[in-house]
Amino acid sequence: MTLAPELSDRVLGELVDALGGEYVLTSKVARMNRARVPAPFPVHRWRERIPDLVVMPGSTAEVAEVLRVAHAHRIPIVPRDGGTGLTDGAVPERRGIVVDVKRMNDIREIDPVNRTCTVGVGINMLKLNEELAPYGLIYPDDPASYPCSLVGGRTGTSGWSLIGSRYGHSRDLVLSFEFVLPTGRVIRVGDGGGAKVSKSSSGYQLKHLFMGHQGTLGIATEATLKLYPKPEAELSPFWAFPDYEAAYRCVQQLAHAGIATFAGAVLFDEWKVAYLRRDDEAYIPQPADVRALVCAVAYGHEDEVRAGGRRLMRIARDAGARYLGDEISQGDWAARHDRYATPLHGRTKSGQVAPMSWHCEDAAINYTELPQVRLEWHGIVERLRERFDVFDDWGMFCYTSADTGVDYLTEIDVGIWEQNLDDDAWAAWVDAKRDIAEVALRYGGSISACHGSCREGEVDLVPMELGGGYDVMLAVKRAIDPHNIMNPGKYGLDRAYTSGGDV
Amino acid sequence: MTESHAHSPVTEEFIAEWRNASYSCFSSGHKFCREVCPVMQVTRNESWTPTAFHANVVAMEQGELTVEEVAEDYVNCTQCGACELRCPNTLFTGDFYRFRTRTVDLVKQMRTLAVDNGVHQPGYRRWNMLTDERTHEPVLGEVPVSQEHVRDWSAGLDLPIGGETILFVDCEAAFYRTSVPRAVAQILQRAGYEFGLMREQWCCGGPAAEMGYRDQARRFAEHNLADWRASGVRRVLVLDPHDYITFTEDYPNFFGDDYDIEIVLVIELLAGLIEDGTLRPEIPVERTITYHDPCRLNKRKGIWQEPRQILRSIPGLTFHDVDHVTQWSYCSGGGGGLPVEKPELTAKISASRLDQAAKLDVDTLVSACPWSERPLSEAGDARSVDVVDIHELLAESLGIEVGGSRGGGGGV
Ligand SMILES: Cc1cc2nc3c(=O)[nH]c(=O)nc-3n(C[C@H](O)[C@H](O)[C@H](O)COP(=O)(O)OP(=O)(O)OC[C@H]3O[C@@H](n4cnc5c(N)ncnc54)[C@H](O)[C@@H]3O)c2cc1C
Ligand code: SF4
Ligand code: SF4
Repeated sequence: MTLAPELSDRVLGELVDALGGEYVLTSKVARMNRARVPAPFPVHRWRERIPDLVVMPGSTAEVAEVLRVAHAHRIPIVPRDGGTGLTDGAVPERRGIVVDVKRMNDIREIDPVNRTCTVGVGINMLKLNEELAPYGLIYPDDPASYPCSLVGGRTGTSGWSLIGSRYGHSRDLVLSFEFVLPTGRVIRVGDGGGAKVSKSSSGYQLKHLFMGHQGTLGIATEATLKLYPKPEAELSPFWAFPDYEAAYRCVQQLAHAGIATFAGAVLFDEWKVAYLRRDDEAYIPQPADVRALVCAVAYGHEDEVRAGGRRLMRIARDAGARYLGDEISQGDWAARHDRYATPLHGRTKSGQVAPMSWHCEDAAINYTELPQVRLEWHGIVERLRERFDVFDDWGMFCYTSADTGVDYLTEIDVGIWEQNLDDDAWAAWVDAKRDIAEVALRYGGSISACHGSCREGEVDLVPMELGGGYDVMLAVKRAIDPHNIMNPGKYGLDRAYTSGGDV
Repeated sequence: MTESHAHSPVTEEFIAEWRNASYSCFSSGHKFCREVCPVMQVTRNESWTPTAFHANVVAMEQGELTVEEVAEDYVNCTQCGACELRCPNTLFTGDFYRFRTRTVDLVKQMRTLAVDNGVHQPGYRRWNMLTDERTHEPVLGEVPVSQEHVRDWSAGLDLPIGGETILFVDCEAAFYRTSVPRAVAQILQRAGYEFGLMREQWCCGGPAAEMGYRDQARRFAEHNLADWRASGVRRVLVLDPHDYITFTEDYPNFFGDDYDIEIVLVIELLAGLIEDGTLRPEIPVERTITYHDPCRLNKRKGIWQEPRQILRSIPGLTFHDVDHVTQWSYCSGGGGGLPVEKPELTAKISASRLDQAAKLDVDTLVSACPWSERPLSEAGDARSVDVVDIHELLAESLGIEVGGSRGGGGGV
């Protein structure tokens, strides 16, 4: 094995003493498999991302010890949980040590009276909900990666939930967490000091700061979560429209209805419908005059969902929608929600089927700007496709982020023929990502609603998005992580140690 | 692509064959399969997950990894099939085109590739050497295993040798949990179903195939098929789910169209005999049970209804069932050679399976797979849950004195 010079035998020895040899992984196989997330990348450059070492700590104390060692020796640390993040957050940029926290997946407390539970951050939400079921409770953080992403990664990305319009997103559902700072010091952050407090005005609101930082500030090890009654009923009507404009109008009327059980609405644009029709085996074919789709979801007690559902149905009908029926509605929601996947192929320009990977570019966009953003984004992907026949436009989804329809998680799905992705095509893709982010900002949005904005291309625009706030980020980074050991390279935060960061 | 590793010709061939199949997982990489994987559940080690097993092939293609480097990781799989079922790629295209993400097959073939390249896991090598010497698996523990003893389990049952229909008894049941084949044989006798024992039964060869010793597996298969042919066997009854996989998947692969032996799973046969009234379980069995879906029946063959039909026909049982989809994420840990190389993982997987059972307040866990019953019983002892084979339970309800042993020295 080749260790980077700074990872001397002494460091290895200290880590083995702290964790036991079984949980200090040096093999190249172990390291390569932690140098990758689902987002496509030029595979011939895989080796550039490989860490020097992987550790699998089993407790907060062990994480703290690893960070103390790394801090003392100035070794880069990359936190990794589910490894499903789509902004390369868990991919090492400067080698170092990957701290894989999946072993910390125990349930430490279920408090049915206050409706909270406390878990190790390596636990998966689906698995957690299996254990909560006997209590009639759920933890409703429900991304499309529900069966595979883990609580620590949800914290690290400040994730977005499909049913967040009803229950909130990760930031609302995580009440507090234990957090190991880069020096190895352990703190608890929440809304104020109490582990189970949902609203506090005491002191700075650190919870937000220590979520969504993509592992650049430290490592969460235990989280206390907010629980809800397990919904009795789930309703997910799908409606068809002859054109995008009608569907676009309808989706906001649904969001505006103020129905308490409303958990979210989704708009599929013409490109998405065309793509599903063309290539998605799970799509139940609709007549050719169906060009856009809307779906709404409602969760709650049977009687409430039924009443709310009637209102949603009426609104949609008045907006010119055609209801697709119960079977399609349930099947399509299951396809988009319970087993999120896209086909394993796209098309080249000549229409030839090619094995392609899925990439999702997401942004937060206000309702009023969706139509323009949509056209500009499709234009960017079309120009890209003209130059390189390894890209395919798989259409767009827009999902309500909140119960009022203020903004939408707006995503364009791009098929990428990864096996043929050479350096030129990759460079063009990075440019396209930057352009996509630029559009989001020009229309007053945010570069990412869900995944984070660390990837090549988009990351260049983060200072522009945040303005003076980015300078505060630099100052905070330098204060908390004086030696830049936490996930170095991410978010351009290296700047904190050279210039800038003065506020 | 760097030239850092020159692969052997068989390895190159393997990579060419698996390249696209592995890519379709690598490029998805969504890991929906991960939390159902029994090995992942107890180790939390990302190197031992389906997507890693596929990604390694991509890394090998890139010249980044060698078969020597990856071989050991592929030990960590029971070949249970859960990941394939949970994979959205299987679920989606599977519904329409019967596409399946082939992780079990990949693990098997990677183990074979390792052996072909002279890379051996010490436990596997020893196990297969002993199997070769004895024509039966060594079977863990102090059990006399040899050709003279292969029919010891049937002492006193007066079973004929040969005939058109024979009962094939896997090594673990023949030498260790002898109560299972005794129960099966006596139930069939009670039903008046005619069958005999095999003339010279060798190990089915399945475990060798699972561990990558394909040539040995094939030699054993050839012996068994030749023996069946020579004694006019047309139909083979199987009581062990592992044999069922071997006879319905490996043998057809080996022999192609020439293979014309009918393979009958005893569970399915018995469910039919109960349904048509030939067998009437009447003696109440006062137990509170749950049923363990053996991976190779439920996940790999989609057989989960018949065992439940049998259990529902037995009077006296209180049955706390757990549906078969939930059980996609359950496993005993006993399969795919895992206990040979990593007995500690098998024990952990069984322990977590028993924890699930214990939560249901049952006194008995019923299984239908002899290979699962040893590790499950060990975990059951620690939780005061009895582990019983479904055939044993049915025999009891039919008033049959089974005899034999539920573990330990092969005698009656
Ligand atoms: C099919 C699919 C669908 C998806 N759908 C959604 C969706 O609907 N909504 C959504 O929000 N996301 C979605 N994602 C993206 C991804 O699942 C989320 O970003 C998720 O929050 C990542 O969690 P993880 O456990 O996989 O984290 P990882 O990928 O391991 O890590 C994510 C980031 O958090 C950091 N991190 C990990 N653990 C810790 C810790 N303990 N402390 C501090 N930092 C840490 C990492 O360094 C990294 O920067 C989807 C991904 C896929 C593959
Ligand atoms: S096996 Fe299927 S679910 Fe698992 S990572 Fe591969 S493609 Fe995804
Ligand atoms: S077959 Fe079973 S043990 Fe093997 S990788 Fe798949 S889920 Fe895990």
